[in-house]
Amino acid sequence: MNFITSLLLKTMAFMFNIRPSLKKYLRTTDGWINFSVGIKLENGKLEQSITFRNGKASVSGKIAPDTDVVMRFVNKETVKEMLKITPNEMLGLILHNKMVLDGNIAYLQLFNFYLSLLLGKKHQRMLAKKNKDDSSYRKKEYATGGHEARGREIADRNKNRLKGMRTDENVRYLEDPYLSEYSIDNFPRIKKFLNDHFTLKPAICTERPRLLTQWFRENGFESDAEGILWQPEIRAALAYRYLMENRKPIIHSNDLIAGTSTSKEPTGVIIYPDAQGTMIWGELGSVDKRALNPYTISEEDALVLHDIFTFWTKRNFREYVRNKYNNPLCLSIDERWVYYFVWKSVGISHTIPDFPKLLNKGINGIMEEIDLRLKDEKNTEANTISLTAMKITLEGVIAYAKNLAGEASVLASSEKNPVRKKELERLVGICTKVPAGPSETLDEAVNALWIVWVALHMENTNTGLSLGRLDQWLQPYFAKDMGNISTESERREYIAHAIELVACFFMRGTDHLPLVPDIGNYLFGGSSSDQAITIGGMTTEGQDGVNDMTYIILKVTEMLSIRDPNVNARFSMEKNSDAYLKRLCEVNYITVATPSMHSDENVAASLAPHGYKIEDIRDWAATGCVEPTLCGRHMGHTGSILMNMVAAFEMALNNGRHPAMDWNLGPSTGSIEKGSFSTFDDFFSAYAAQQEFLIDQAVELNNLLAEAHTVLRPTPFLSSLIDGSIEKGTDVTKGGARYNTSGSSNIGLADVTDSLMVIKKLVFDDKIISFAELKKAVDANFNGYPKILALVKNRVPIFGSGNMESLALANRITEFIHGCYHRHTNYRGGKYTAGFWSMSQHVAYGSLSGALPSGRLAGKAFTPGLTPQPSASKNFLDNIMDVARLNPRHMDNNIAFNVKLMPGLAGKREGTIDSMCSYVKTYFQQGGMQMQFNVVTSEVLKDAMAHPENYRNLLVRISGYNAYFVTLNREMQIELIERTGYGI
Amino acid sequence: MREENLILEIKGNSLDDGPGIRTVVFLKGCPLACLWCHNPEGRKPGPEISFDKSKCIDCGACVDICPSGALSGSHRFFIDREKCTLCFLCVDACPSTALGRVGQAMTVSEITKKVLRDKPFFDSSGGGVTLSGGEPSLNMEFAAELLGNFKQHHLHTLIETCGYFNHGKFTALILPFVDVIYYDLKLFDEKEHKKYCGTSNTVIIDNFIKLADIADNAAWRIIPRIPMIPDITDREDNLNALADFLQHKAKQVSLLHYNPLWLDKNSKIGTDFEVSGDSKMKEWIKPEKIKFYESIFIKKGIEVVSA
Repeated sequence: MNFITSLLLKTMAFMFNIRPSLKKYLRTTDGWINFSVGIKLENGKLEQSITFRNGKASVSGKIAPDTDVVMRFVNKETVKEMLKITPNEMLGLILHNKMVLDGNIAYLQLFNFYLSLLLGKKHQRMLAKKNKDDSSYRKKEYATGGHEARGREIADRNKNRLKGMRTDENVRYLEDPYLSEYSIDNFPRIKKFLNDHFTLKPAICTERPRLLTQWFRENGFESDAEGILWQPEIRAALAYRYLMENRKPIIHSNDLIAGTSTSKEPTGVIIYPDAQGTMIWGELGSVDKRALNPYTISEEDALVLHDIFTFWTKRNFREYVRNKYNNPLCLSIDERWVYYFVWKSVGISHTIPDFPKLLNKGINGIMEEIDLRLKDEKNTEANTISLTAMKITLEGVIAYAKNLAGEASVLASSEKNPVRKKELERLVGICTKVPAGPSETLDEAVNALWIVWVALHMENTNTGLSLGRLDQWLQPYFAKDMGNISTESERREYIAHAIELVACFFMRGTDHLPLVPDIGNYLFGGSSSDQAITIGGMTTEGQDGVNDMTYIILKVTEMLSIRDPNVNARFSMEKNSDAYLKRLCEVNYITVATPSMHSDENVAASLAPHGYKIEDIRDWAATGCVEPTLCGRHMGHTGSILMNMVAAFEMALNNGRHPAMDWNLGPSTGSIEKGSFSTFDDFFSAYAAQQEFLIDQAVELNNLLAEAHTVLRPTPFLSSLIDGSIEKGTDVTKGGARYNTSGSSNIGLADVTDSLMVIKKLVFDDKIISFAELKKAVDANFNGYPKILALVKNRVPIFGSGNMESLALANRITEFIHGCYHRHTNYRGGKYTAGFWSMSQHVAYGSLSGALPSGRLAGKAFTPGLTPQPSASKNFLDNIMDVARLNPRHMDNNIAFNVKLMPGLAGKREGTIDSMCSYVKTYFQQGGMQMQFNVVTSEVLKDAMAHPENYRNLLVRISGYNAYFVTLNREMQIELIERTGYGI
Repeated sequence: MREENLILEIKGNSLDDGPGIRTVVFLKGCPLACLWCHNPEGRKPGPEISFDKSKCIDCGACVDICPSGALSGSHRFFIDREKCTLCFLCVDACPSTALGRVGQAMTVSEITKKVLRDKPFFDSSGGGVTLSGGEPSLNMEFAAELLGNFKQHHLHTLIETCGYFNHGKFTALILPFVDVIYYDLKLFDEKEHKKYCGTSNTVIIDNFIKLADIADNAAWRIIPRIPMIPDITDREDNLNALADFLQHKAKQVSLLHYNPLWLDKNSKIGTDFEVSGDSKMKEWIKPEKIKFYESIFIKKGIEVVSA
């Protein structure tokens, strides 16, 4: 093995030393790239390293202690496997515990990039073959008869749309609030955008990192040209202003809204090299050909990124923590992917800005507020810095809007089509006026929102930043515009315009994607930016919040059926009408998967213990997936921690060792084999201890990464739009917001509850089997233990069955977990919250977990969110009641309760919608917080696996976010097919 | 009167047994013996034992525990029902639920308690509880007590009946507590009815006429239902005869679409039932056929509704 590896590395070194075409990659704007990579076997039988220094590559049989990154392989088979895979698959080895990585992952990516320069052609052929094999496997395995009828069934749902009655008191202008007469066919412009969205491949955009890196290279990062240490906020603000002034102002062809998130159309991938950007380094040569969600990238752009990335290898959140805190345990745990994922290595974006303030005052108004605040004599130097930085960023945003106005004017002057010319001229006026000044019309408000949205993503990673209560905030502008119209026909025309404008806004939201390295396709499959929009519910005064814009947004949601923006509907039992609920269900039925529905009252109950003001609670909106943020005043970073509860549970089964990772990580809490547990509570305590250990570690990492943000990427622009920050004169990364929390999500509640129930019933209560016997069966993945598996599956009442004992156990677990988090304080001085949704981690974590006492087999997905197991009860109503009876106070970061409803082929359209309404309403009445339906049969999903080309727009809800089914990895697709389904 | 009243199943979340979301209580025992019975385990009033081969893991626990040697892999239905004494020890021993007890004795209050768990869904959907079977009127007193109890809890009640009952008792005991009657008519010709359902249909037809006569001024509604059984009830002459009969007696009719899902149920309870390989009984009903059936009733001015 030593010989082969050495030969490989020596060949690599030789090629880089002699071939000028390769040698050029050893040097960037900052000089030679100096780094070293080690390869070794756990048993010590292999040790090799390659070092690149000052333009020379050399190989050694030793790994020096200061080697940048070391790949530790579990055995020699896995080393051989590495030699046979493409760069995009390299990180998959970590995921499956075939390799452990010590050190800076960016250098592994650089090493992969170099490998791909040597083997690029071969890799491309390998990928092409894999994709072909995959496609024929799907056709063979999942082809079902009669697929035309299946495809048609979903399209037919758009026929016979229901008409609405005007029953909501704040719906003022829509005679038929359901807007049943409109379909996508009424809006050819939008139809074209939609077609582009589904047919054109996204491209990686280098603009943001290029301009920022340019500025930092000229002006320094840690210290300036004179060697004086930078104040991070000022540095960030100046670089940001430079970016905004110099980025290309683009008006998307035929759009009603000016500005784009990237320089690529229709969709660009934004790169944040201070976050996870360098993760794509190794894939620059293959990302175009990978099976899932490929991006285009030109050779030239790949070279640009290679040059940029070298600047950032050590200037990112992870490496800041690794270097400053000496590679802490909490970081090593995170880097095994299976215990928890701390999102701050990517961004802090899960929040909602104060858009009403932006629309009311304009950026100029906010600047005046800052100016006034700057005059305060009590200001510390830190306050002055923070406030000054905010102002600088606001100047950048105004500059960008001005450039857009200029671009619109250039386009208008050369435009031949008189209608379009007029639109462009209108955009000149709009971009000249907003977002600098207050908005006065719906067109101005929507454009101001979009320009600021683009600007926010130039500062913050596009992951989970959310749009908030657009219906509440846009209604005044719509109402004002309508009020200025006197004739009936003009009003009708304006309503159509409002639908088209909002549809443009939604489609603008699809103009960017987060950077997903291939491993992300397996961890967060099919996810986009998750820009949540929230509609309905109560107003801040506690009145009925459903208005004209609520229904316009719902119409757009229905017509487009796109994954992002992620539409979330609040429903207040007290204030909102049944007609509104029925419309939510109809849109859900037509689109298959959206909106997700929340109970206003029960989400409010979950937030009550925080002591927020009641009017602030009433202003909550979903963030990223489902999590509540109090709009415009709350840094809740609601997606901070994704915790694998099953990992803790497996560690409890194994006295602190995680079996798949083979790591003695947790505290010693007792051995089942040695008979350490004499009561159920003994074992519960063991689980609790392991769980608390992992939570403590995740919290520690989250706090360290939070500090990294204040140094590497403070966010003055976002701060200017979060209430509290200007008043306190403090950046939001340092606690400037009025409310500060950090949100966790805990994955595997049903699996852990059911496993504990099995242990309780079969081992301790009924004494049917011994704990050691059960453990043996679990360790053997139930192979050779069919009787135990049958007992487990049939003799234990589990969560979702309507059994009070299992429900009480689930409540005991959520209370415990909530308590663990609640003891901690985050970096910004706020509390941690606990949620129970899973994004797509129930599949990823499932694939890395062994069998469970619940009878779930090794590698299988957990249930999504906190959804009960499919076998819990034949009666769906039991599921609903059990989830509804979980105590909201322990779930203050919300939940995701997924239900698959399977309509019959001869669907009774309105009956189906009515049944959906009844489920949701009863669930809310009984205390449920959130519910989301996929209205689709397993047969349709199977057909989509075999014929993805026919289902490009098939939308599914994963756990909190939406995705196109065909963009998901195979495990996720299977999970959706096998998910609990009920006929309707 | 039987000593115990057996419940086949209490099934929640039914969307096909009346308006709204409903919970259906299936009572065991039926006076008819329809060839196509979709719940063959509901025919006999007494308890039975069932075996589902697909669930069996071959662990042998049942064979070991059986005191009468009634279980054997070599027996066609696994259970030799001649030898079986229905002690159900094997059912308790079976870890995989392949062996099951058909028919649970439950009291009125036990049933009510279980049904009431779903009440919030009845309230939000306009649903309620449905008595089905078997034939729920077979033990009229028990059915009446159940319905009366449901009414005390203000539940919407529906009874699905084959019509083979004592009219006087039905009027006195059931009608006061029922909101809707789903009344099954199968074959209009008496001989045919005898052949396929095991009894004459004169009682059934008479009872329907009597109920239809008073239905207009009653607090309850009655909806006749006809199952569409391939080549038996769905023949044009039968449907024409039924349509003629129903004209002026019913404003609505519900046609039950045939499905073949019941075919493997018989072997589980040890009953022989074979349909030939090319029988239409193995197929789902075709949409164009449904249109045709419906037209026969629509021509007579009877509205076809979904049940």
